[in-house]
Amino acid sequence: MTTTNKTASLPAKTVILLAAFFLLAASACNKDQRVTYEVQTKELYQSAAQKQTLKTTIQFVSIAYSDLYNSSITSDQLNKLDLAYQAMGDKKIIEDMIIKNFLNQASSIIPTNTIMRNDVAAFVQNTYLRFYNRKPNEFEAWKMKDMIEKNTDITPKMVYYTLMTSNEYRYY
Amino acid sequence: MKRKQFIKNAALTAAGSMVMPYILPTGRLFAASGTRRAGHVVVCLFAGGVRNTESMGKADGNLMRNTLNGTESISADIAPGVTQLPMLASTPLQNEATLFKEFRYAEGPTGHYNAHAAAMTGVYSDQSIQLKQPPPFPTIFEYYRKHNSPTNNALNAWWVSNSLGPYPFLNYSSYEGYGAAYGANMIQPDAFFSQANSLGNPVSFAQSEKAKCDMMRDFANGQFKVPQQAISSGIVNSPADAERLQTFLNRTMTDIRNGVFPQNPWGVTPYMTGDMKNIYLGIEVLKEFKPELTVINMTDIDIGHFDYTKYVNAIGIADYAMYKLWQAIKADDVLKNDTVLIVVPEHGRNELPNSVVDAYGRKALDHNNDAKSREIFCLLAGTGIKHNTVIGLDNQNNGIGQSIDLVPTIANILGFDTDIPGGLLNGRVLNEAYS
Repeated sequence: MTTTNKTASLPAKTVILLAAFFLLAASACNKDQRVTYEVQTKELYQSAAQKQTLKTTIQFVSIAYSDLYNSSITSDQLNKLDLAYQAMGDKKIIEDMIIKNFLNQASSIIPTNTIMRNDVAAFVQNTYLRFYNRKPNEFEAWKMKDMIEKNTDITPKMVYYTLMTSNEYRYY
Repeated sequence: MKRKQFIKNAALTAAGSMVMPYILPTGRLFAASGTRRAGHVVVCLFAGGVRNTESMGKADGNLMRNTLNGTESISADIAPGVTQLPMLASTPLQNEATLFKEFRYAEGPTGHYNAHAAAMTGVYSDQSIQLKQPPPFPTIFEYYRKHNSPTNNALNAWWVSNSLGPYPFLNYSSYEGYGAAYGANMIQPDAFFSQANSLGNPVSFAQSEKAKCDMMRDFANGQFKVPQQAISSGIVNSPADAERLQTFLNRTMTDIRNGVFPQNPWGVTPYMTGDMKNIYLGIEVLKEFKPELTVINMTDIDIGHFDYTKYVNAIGIADYAMYKLWQAIKADDVLKNDTVLIVVPEHGRNELPNSVVDAYGRKALDHNNDAKSREIFCLLAGTGIKHNTVIGLDNQNNGIGQSIDLVPTIANILGFDTDIPGGLLNGRVLNEAYS
């Protein structure tokens, strides 16, 4: 009886072991496994004053990537950028370089200048929501709109760069 | 104007004319009061744990042919495992240097980080030193930037580290009154520039566009009250210096990305080691910024824990890389006649080997606080340094000079040692080296 049971169970165990092996092998080869590092769930802030905590390096890089590409950074990319971050003493400089490189990738999602100029107020509103996770207050909405309208050489990329390298973007 | 008022105004004007020259552009009140022996100091931490038995004692031959006189050949049993690098020096460096052959890392654990910290702070640390935190005592960079000349911006002070882990934290301390505001620029070149594919293609803005970005950012920052004292940890360059630094980094990144930057610029066989790459990229920093104070280290020698022959080989490679650094200093119009190079290991290695045997039958060496692991050397060369001078033991058979003497000596060379507040340093100036 015992022998029969053992014989009967061996193929099943083998199948399970093989399946586990292939699953592990498949996941080990999947270098582009996507990971998400969220600071918190996407609830809108009522004001900038609610942001009191400095983002970690990992949070800063992964959030910046998500904000620009609308997808999660791969763990491989994140580790590489974290290495570069550790390797530079002036953190502002490395943050600036990371943002500038993100902005220059073809896959970054940036509206055209025409779209921005067609409705500057909506662009400002959407940009604050996208990067600051809050609506601009009345003064901010007016002032940013005013600056963009008065300076016709300001592009959406410049506005994105500005907000992503501002102090508020470093906090949550 | 009444006579009394006139005299008062004249006196104030005269006093002001005497005081004003000492109010420096950096906001400091006084310039360093000492006389400079040289305008630049480059410290090469010949680190990873080098036992004097192999370096100065030449137990397996002259491994440092670019530094030390002598033609002792490599021991035959390990010679096949030692890279034969070409000789760079027409005459070894010791002929134009002062060599302390019996220098000491006298106190504290013989751990790499502790000993690096001692060399860079002038204070021996104990077991309680925290890894991945700034050291508790001011670094030489902070003394330099706080007490030195008007040109003490962060681009003038560099810590070029071969390793990550705790080492990047040695560019400034947590000591009250010093800290990041006086820290050095730090770079770990290999890790940084290996990310050329991720960071070598930045968007670039014209000056007018940058100005517009600054305008918008100033507005955005004005609307946000930073909840902590600093927006990010670490040192901060002035906007102009940050732009200059970023231009250098971007240019190097782009060159690497485009294959312009050579993979093996020294043409060495079989390849550039980590120590070589660190020195090579450190030289790029020297050429670009001509810093007044640079500390650059090597660490590959630490293979000695696991493979004696590779440890011996790494000493020879470090000697080669160090001499490349010296050649770069001598080839630079700004640095060549105004620089002191200091070469010093952070600590030694044990008298007795461990049990790990390499392919040539040799046993490896750890470093566990025995007397031998405290024996190191120190070489000074360059402007104002005595040539062809060897300093050994004193009359009581004690070593002369120790790790904590480096900070006072660097401060003395750069002319600000007397401006460092009393009680912070216990070392002395290595006056024996001055001509």
